[in-house]
Amino acid sequence: MQWSVVPASLPYLLQGVRATLLLSITVLVTGTALGALWGMLRVCPVPAIQRGMTALIEGVRSIPLLLQMFFIFFGLPALGIQMPVFLSAALAMTLWMAANFAEVIRGAIESIPHGQFEAASSTGLTYVQAMRSVIVPQALRRMLPPFVGLCTILIKDTSLASIIGVFELTRATQETIERTFRSFELYLAVAAMYFVICFALTSLSRILERRLGSPGRVVLVGPAVME
Amino acid sequence: MLAGLVIGLALALASQARWRLVRGLVTVYVEVVRNTPLLIQIFFIYFGLPLVLVKLPAFVSGLLALTLYGAAYNCEVFRAGLEAVSHGQHEAARSTGLTAWQEARYVIVPQALRISFPALGNNLVSLVKNSSLVSVIGMVELMFVANDISFNNFRSFEVYGAAVVYYMVIVLGLSRLLSVMERRVLAKSVA
Repeated sequence: MQWSVVPASLPYLLQGVRATLLLSITVLVTGTALGALWGMLRVCPVPAIQRGMTALIEGVRSIPLLLQMFFIFFGLPALGIQMPVFLSAALAMTLWMAANFAEVIRGAIESIPHGQFEAASSTGLTYVQAMRSVIVPQALRRMLPPFVGLCTILIKDTSLASIIGVFELTRATQETIERTFRSFELYLAVAAMYFVICFALTSLSRILERRLGSPGRVVLVGPAVME
Repeated sequence: MLAGLVIGLALALASQARWRLVRGLVTVYVEVVRNTPLLIQIFFIYFGLPLVLVKLPAFVSGLLALTLYGAAYNCEVFRAGLEAVSHGQHEAARSTGLTAWQEARYVIVPQALRISFPALGNNLVSLVKNSSLVSVIGMVELMFVANDISFNNFRSFEVYGAAVVYYMVIVLGLSRLLSVMERRVLAKSVA
């Protein structure tokens, strides 16, 4: 074993960490925004919209993220839509994040007792008002733990972007290994890097959960569910 | 998947063990596996292990990585299931004179399995999707070569499109099947 390759290639790997975080944060912003929209549409009381959103969300969720990336990067050019790798990866991950976050929203909102809706509308609030000032504030607390769990998965899944050629931590590792041939040491070191980032997040989620008290039963994708 | 289930259950039982060292080891294993990307694990087993231990063929590497990954997640599910079985059940089992092993075998585990069922189903579905990653260790060389545009011919759209449809059929069919089974299992637990 030759552990000296790890410190020697650290600057390059840290560039990879930066790119990984950049991709994660980009997707976090776009995916969460789109997911919030999808989630609200998914629970809206119009059956046609509900059905359409269910089909969309379940469709996206049933396709492996890697395949989505391949499809967008290698498949869509056949339709004349060609995108740089970073954009393809970010788009695929945004769809993935949006679908999963929409499910988190649905789980949280459906876990609010129905009486809350009835009480809100009996005080004369419209649907939007009831959502805004009664339901969503309660649901937000329940969303938080699964949301942080999703973020962890998101960071881990940025490693998939390396496969279509995005420069990030996994890609940086592969390039370093091609130069040094020390795959054992480098993969272990990089696993440790991912671990530090993700473990910090899961710990944060645990603290938040404790701080917020147990918010009733959160039924949906906790961090315990793999994705 | 089966191996992942068995190992996951064994780990979960170990996490309930009295010895702190055993519990600590299980926690470390589960946290490490859950907080590192599956792709890195696959690469580590396929490309990294040959330097120090053995060279495994791609298929075995992929299977091993998926099993270990699934085991860690299933362990968490089982652990939650075991902890959800109410304390009175343990006491009742003990008071009828069952040994610790009998208690686990006949009283606690069957109930925990039932509680864990929906989450295990989720993990199974995720596993099917994650199996797509294994293709990468057979494909990395190909991907590096295929970066030129000639790869982006009309066929790739159709091939990936077909793959998308296959996955959707498998995964949606599986989740439908699981939700039917779930209803059965839950109905049985009420009866």
